[in-house]
Amino acid sequence: MKVKVIRSAVIDAPVERVWAVLRDFNSHRLWHEAVTGSDIENDLDGDVVGCVRRFDIAGAELREQLIRHSDPDRTYSYCILDATPPLIDYVATLRIKPVTDGNRTFLDWRSEFRTAADRSRELETFVERDIFEAGFTGLRKFLADQAGPSTPPVEKNGVEVTPVSVDEPLSSRAIVVETAGAPEVMTLDWATIPAPGPGQVRVRQTAVAVNYLDLMHRQGKASELSLPATPGLESVGEIIDVGDQVHDLFVGDRVACLTRTSGAYAESRCVDAGDCLPLPAGITDLEASTLLKGATAGLLLGRIFNVAPGKVILIQSIAGGLGHLLCQWAKSLNLKVMGTVSTVEKARFIRDLGCDFPIVLEEGIRLRDEVMRMTNGKGVDYGVHSNDGADDAFSCLARCGHMALIGDRGGQPVSIDTNTLKKQSLSVSVPVCFDYFDDRIYLQRLAHQYFTKIQSRSIIPAIETFHLSHAADAHKQIESRQNMGAIVLVNERSE
Amino acid sequence: MVKVYQSTVLNAPADRVWRDLRDFNGLANWHPAVALSRIENGHPADKIGCVRYYQQKDGAKIRERLLSLSDYEYTCMSAILDSPLELTDYIATIRLFPVTEGNRCFIEWSAEFECSPNKETELTEIVGRQWFQAGFDALKKRYGQG
Repeated sequence: MKVKVIRSAVIDAPVERVWAVLRDFNSHRLWHEAVTGSDIENDLDGDVVGCVRRFDIAGAELREQLIRHSDPDRTYSYCILDATPPLIDYVATLRIKPVTDGNRTFLDWRSEFRTAADRSRELETFVERDIFEAGFTGLRKFLADQAGPSTPPVEKNGVEVTPVSVDEPLSSRAIVVETAGAPEVMTLDWATIPAPGPGQVRVRQTAVAVNYLDLMHRQGKASELSLPATPGLESVGEIIDVGDQVHDLFVGDRVACLTRTSGAYAESRCVDAGDCLPLPAGITDLEASTLLKGATAGLLLGRIFNVAPGKVILIQSIAGGLGHLLCQWAKSLNLKVMGTVSTVEKARFIRDLGCDFPIVLEEGIRLRDEVMRMTNGKGVDYGVHSNDGADDAFSCLARCGHMALIGDRGGQPVSIDTNTLKKQSLSVSVPVCFDYFDDRIYLQRLAHQYFTKIQSRSIIPAIETFHLSHAADAHKQIESRQNMGAIVLVNERSE
Repeated sequence: MVKVYQSTVLNAPADRVWRDLRDFNGLANWHPAVALSRIENGHPADKIGCVRYYQQKDGAKIRERLLSLSDYEYTCMSAILDSPLELTDYIATIRLFPVTEGNRCFIEWSAEFECSPNKETELTEIVGRQWFQAGFDALKKRYGQG
């Protein structure tokens, strides 16, 4: 039986902006809420006619091929190659047109397919609502979120408003580490922040994330970060001036800054424009300062593991900064979540955030025994391991399980016996998040997913704050393993 | 070749709007610039090739031939035969698309023509604003705002 579905809508954004998002055949994962995964096979770009995308949408798996793409007509068509639902000879066309009256966009999305008569009604509804109409909703939300951050200065009464920028060296306080050592080696000092160079912006920071790598840096154990230096890779703040050759950021934009070089433990700093991510309106500075941890959680669940609902994940130090976000993200994907904590108080904290089986590692408790007891002897499908005792963690994996080793372990390698892996068909990865986040488009997608989850309250970051001048206390809190959730330094002078 | 394109959203279903627009002789019913209209030689207004003669309120007289009409695609194409405008090879297309969300419709009106380069801006303004957009504004009033 032949079915034809047409859905159309008017989107309140200029056609150029809508097409900039839609023209990538693989962009659905950015804006379509029902799309849980989308990848183009053979690493092709999303505008290569003939490329095939693998697509998980609303519980269905599809392989779709781009068969027509036109920039002047702002349209593309695609057909289904394989699909779990019986959508036979499925061809869809998406087309947008400018609404010149009001600078909006008309979006027309249609498809034709054949299917068995008794399933036609159900599949028609699936395409109509779960794909097309849900797509309109998601696209609107995505464009609105994107619109929030970067806005050029508006003209008032025909006079162009030029942002007042400081444009000269600025005195700012910063944490400095002269030589490696205990938390007390961090001292607050005055530093001069120069005007931003070409391609840079200067940011007045309101929140600075404390990441585990900062502790390694202070201890002199981070291989790529030297001393003396100001620690810190991640911060959130407001742009106060903009250097030459920066075209997409403006004074007053709220941004998250993720840099490979340190210097974040400061009241202000200069960063490359490419290291800034504009923030949507519904996210607070504190929430945004957990981006690196949140995006790492998204990276593990979206790319490192081949996650499926009902599978079991074991997260070491689940009450920590990364752990508690990973726990909530995994729950939002309907995984069963297990994790280790050091105290009963932490177990209560993480259970409240959705962890199914918190394991308190007390004297006499063997992790493997606990895991096997809770999984009926099967083991876990995914493990996230950051500290010592990797052998113990590997022994918790189920057949064909995957272990992600994260963190630095003070530069100490983990020795892996491939025969042990082979016995159970285990695999292991050692992802360094910055290697993935250098792909800024990918990081933007993760950030969008993460912030959307925060806004819908399916992830609630737990944040403990310290004043920038008390950075040493923040590090002590982590080293004594007392923290629950993320730790953020706030600039007391901007409060 | 000069191209002019205008579009808007009307607060009525495409079927409803098409009832008004498909009448090639119906311009005077809805376009505020048109005073009277008739089809030459007594042909029906939906006969492909028929010619409409209409007079604008400013006195301009225009003859236009119906090139295509599609009830299936809500599309109508026409070509100017005679007009006081200094242009040639003028072909216009008007097309409706249903907006399923909210049961409204999207309407686009476009034209292509030839003219001398120094007339381009003026003619684009006349065709785009005074003809297309003025028609849209009247249609928007006719069907009400959502």
